[in-house]
Amino acid sequence: MSRIGVFICHCGENISRTVDVERVAQQVGKMPGVAFSTDYKYMCSDPGQNLLKKAIQEQNLTHVVVAACSPRMHEKTFRKAVEAAGLNPFLCEMANIREHCSWVHENREEATVKATEIVGMMVERVKKNRVLPTITVPVTKRSLVIGGGIAGIQAALDIADCGHEVILVEREPSIGGHMAQLSETFPTLDCSQCIMTPKMVDVANHPNIKLYTYSEIELVEGYIGNFQVTIKKRARSVDEDKCTGCGVCMTKCPQKKIPNKFDQNIGMRTAIYIPFPQAVPNTPVIDRENCTMFKTGKCGVCQKVCGPGAVDFEQQDQLIIEAVGAIVVATGFDLYTIDEKPKGSLIKGYGEFGHGKIPDVIDGMTFERLASASGPTGGKILRPSDGKEPKQIVFIQCIGSRAREKGISYCSKVCCMYTAKHTMLYHHKVHDGQAYVFFMDARTPGKSYDEFWRRSIEEEEAVYIRGMVSRLYQKGDKIIVRGSDIAVGVQVEIEADMVVLATAIQPQKGADTLAQKLGISYDKYNFYSEAHAKLRPVECATAGIYLAGACQGPKDIPETVSQASAAAAKVMTLFSKDLLEREPIVARVKESGCVGCFACKKVCAYGAVEEKEIRDRQGNLIKTVAFVNPGVCAGCGTCQATCPSKSVELDGYTDEQIVAMIESL
Amino acid sequence: MTEPIDTSIYSAVTAAIQTEAQRILAAGLVTAIVGYAASRRNGSTQPIIVTDAAAAEKLIFTPASVNNLALYLTKAKKEIPKKGKIGIVVKGCDLKAIVGLMGEAQLKRNDLYLIGVPCAGVLASTVQPSTALTADTIASKCTECDARLPSDCDYVPNVQLPTQPQLAGKYAVEIARLEALTPAERWAYWKEQFAKCIKCYACRQVCPFCFCEQCLCDRNKPQMVDTTPRPAGNTAWHIVRAMHLAGRCAGCAECERVCPMDIPLNLLNRKMAKELKELYDYEAGFEVNDKGPLTTYTDKDDQSFIK
Amino acid sequence: MHPEKQTHDFEPKIIAFVCTWCTYAGADLAGTSRMQYPANVRVLKFPCTGRIDPVFILKAFQQGADGVLVSGCHPGDCHYIAGNFHARRRFAAFRKLLEFVGVDLNRLQFSWVSAAEGGKWVEVVTDLTEKVRAMGPMTEFKELAMEEQWSGAINTPELKEAYSQI
Repeated sequence: MSRIGVFICHCGENISRTVDVERVAQQVGKMPGVAFSTDYKYMCSDPGQNLLKKAIQEQNLTHVVVAACSPRMHEKTFRKAVEAAGLNPFLCEMANIREHCSWVHENREEATVKATEIVGMMVERVKKNRVLPTITVPVTKRSLVIGGGIAGIQAALDIADCGHEVILVEREPSIGGHMAQLSETFPTLDCSQCIMTPKMVDVANHPNIKLYTYSEIELVEGYIGNFQVTIKKRARSVDEDKCTGCGVCMTKCPQKKIPNKFDQNIGMRTAIYIPFPQAVPNTPVIDRENCTMFKTGKCGVCQKVCGPGAVDFEQQDQLIIEAVGAIVVATGFDLYTIDEKPKGSLIKGYGEFGHGKIPDVIDGMTFERLASASGPTGGKILRPSDGKEPKQIVFIQCIGSRAREKGISYCSKVCCMYTAKHTMLYHHKVHDGQAYVFFMDARTPGKSYDEFWRRSIEEEEAVYIRGMVSRLYQKGDKIIVRGSDIAVGVQVEIEADMVVLATAIQPQKGADTLAQKLGISYDKYNFYSEAHAKLRPVECATAGIYLAGACQGPKDIPETVSQASAAAAKVMTLFSKDLLEREPIVARVKESGCVGCFACKKVCAYGAVEEKEIRDRQGNLIKTVAFVNPGVCAGCGTCQATCPSKSVELDGYTDEQIVAMIESL
Repeated sequence: MTEPIDTSIYSAVTAAIQTEAQRILAAGLVTAIVGYAASRRNGSTQPIIVTDAAAAEKLIFTPASVNNLALYLTKAKKEIPKKGKIGIVVKGCDLKAIVGLMGEAQLKRNDLYLIGVPCAGVLASTVQPSTALTADTIASKCTECDARLPSDCDYVPNVQLPTQPQLAGKYAVEIARLEALTPAERWAYWKEQFAKCIKCYACRQVCPFCFCEQCLCDRNKPQMVDTTPRPAGNTAWHIVRAMHLAGRCAGCAECERVCPMDIPLNLLNRKMAKELKELYDYEAGFEVNDKGPLTTYTDKDDQSFIK
Repeated sequence: MHPEKQTHDFEPKIIAFVCTWCTYAGADLAGTSRMQYPANVRVLKFPCTGRIDPVFILKAFQQGADGVLVSGCHPGDCHYIAGNFHARRRFAAFRKLLEFVGVDLNRLQFSWVSAAEGGKWVEVVTDLTEKVRAMGPMTEFKELAMEEQWSGAINTPELKEAYSQI
């Protein structure tokens, strides 16, 4: 039999002014199961809490109802007090007779009756409350970081510096990502390589970072604190332990004319290659599609010249399983494909701008490689078609971005700034050249950003034309750019030597496939979704998975680095305790009733519902039932409302508790 | 004399089922076949489980093959062999139920050998099994059937379905009639219907989708629905049942067929199906869906009823 | 300032099922803002509208509620990502069912009330209370509950015939 204690708070006069608290205490005191009821001036005060604790002990109370303010205000306070007195905190409920009663009604009689009913309802509820132990989940203090661009590098270094092991997985042969491709970076124009490569080397040398390049995520199982990740390490054909990175193989490789993706295919590389000189690791990889040995079975020059004997044509893809407690996703972005319409995509290409047909129409990243001192032209701005220096150059912004008719309605955020940067780099390298920019708006929020943009116009002589380009075509060795200047209201035509398109930022190819492996959600563009746009911007709804960088949405470098450090901080918060503690308001499956229709699994937004096989002693499958992982469940209860047989139940909000409340009314 | 319905193909269908059943049993492709066999009453059929190729000749298909045999794959599988594939004779409506059960992880396609029946209709439960099939004697569900020819089966007899006379959809007509009434009139109608209920739970027993091991309506901690056969509990039971079947019911109308008190139960299910079609463009069909209309959502769903 | 309290012949019983993050907080805000509304409503707190089972609504009516309110977060605001989206479909279907069996939907209100909408909470609760008050008591379920015995009427020709043969 329950011995319920009911404590009615006056809240100074906030409650007692409209509610006859003595009468409520008296009436409720007569309810079956109520062993003790009293009223007090301030229940939340120290004396009030002591009154509660003393009563629990002296009256041998089994459950407590505190009728006072909103539980959103003081539920934690009273549950702590109850716990201090030796009861499970979840045996205490609050009845809200202030916000929901005394403050919103003036009639004393009505308010008193209502308050009595509210308290009565909570008394009936608390009778059905069960002891709920705090949930603890063991945490593997190792982290996986997916993507070795600046976001992944920053997150990995922060976590590793904190003393935790990090597994960093990169799809390409080297880490560095897009930032390593950039020539100089806004708004300070420091060279990207100069600030990036030291971080890449730090990753390579860090005792806590295990680096897998040329590798991809194959499978993710488990949940927060306890993930098992299968990584597919593709065959490099070069033994990383033996290779010294001397580079002789590359100089001797007869295949020298393979477009280098890192140089946006305008520079060439060999079949055995590192994508760029500062690559980390500095171990070459054999591109099996273009290697003569793999194509014809004859050649093997690299193997012959390799001193340490590192070249291994027999190497196989490897599957490696790593146990981690947290995952940071930092897969970054890809540039909008201008000339081709991706299959099955809503997104339309920009065939009218001649990209891919007119050789001197390039995208922004290609311009970066032209401007880069380590790029294919050694930092000289030269046209891809004939190697001449362009004297008139046109930049066109918002290619793909903010173009609903092309299928992308968002702003890519960085193009205004990098186009301004491009005009400067161009002016620095081609003193007698002229840069034109077609733009819709200049969006330059950010520290020192607008100043930077103004500088491109005022000091670096870029001519900004507000309007869009209608047509581009080749005429002789010129590209005729036709557009409108809407500020002046005239048509303009520019004879350009080169055109640079500021193409939109899109998530990496395969972002959706990876999301499905991870069980995280993504938007219609395949950008990954954060748990809350404002308050949980680096967490996924799936517990234990965090986001960093442009995989979540277009971002510049400072923002990416901030988010990466924020994600790392979230991982470190998780790793700060050996056991993850959570409020036990989670769903539980009653296996005897579950028939395994998995409606619960279908509606769970957190992927907390798993399939569990029940077998007899001989190992024969009896049935497959749902299992709610308490480490992942967020406690919304949608599963219970969906379950036809109510075989899954949300602790703290069970059908018994709710029906008891309804029946009390 | 009402318009007759051509069921002449049923003899060819019967022959084809027998041949196929004999073949797959003899070849060991299946361990048993669930089908229809002649029963003692003139013209009636009853479900049969055939495990021997020699017994395949017992299988028939007639206008009295009313049962939804899907039940024998889940709840009533006592006599079904535990090992091997099971063959089953399915009408379009029954197949929809099987497809629904696959979507709810109760059945696996690979465990089944589906023998689809081109179906011109079956008899209403209110007429004698030997009655000729006419526009009057046909089961209500058959008047609105859109699934006379099952697809994606392992075998479908190669017979040409005869053209059907245009039949007025009996449920559609009745739903429209009820919808035109006032709430009070509708309440009076259903009050009278539910008052007949004796809580025999035949509707639950026969429903392929009532596969819960413990029904919510049998629970007593807490008691969600009064279990005694009184009007309040009866009404609650039928409301809860209709809600639990919403978006799942495949329209086999077995609940209505077996109801000893002739409560028009399928009317509730058809009404819900109609609403879900209008709201979310969902219909039970031959394609296995990952999620039903009430286990998924879009951010643009109708909310005109929400303040 | 304090208008004369009107007296009514009928005080409806209104049961509100609300989610804790938005509507419950909105009702709290109405309180902290000292807004006034009829005292007829009793609030049951849920973590999310996704947890609210249609059976609870049925139960509330059977238990004598004259009006039921279900309220949660606006679409996109759900603390649990999608609970309210699932609830929206579930209740869209359930109200159609109730309507079909003859429940007057004026007694069943759904709303989105955010934590910032104390005023909207007051409006929704006041409107429902007044609407239901004007409609009078919900008698349908209460009358059913009063009927203790099975009232199987022999009113079809088949049943009559069968009965006469016993």
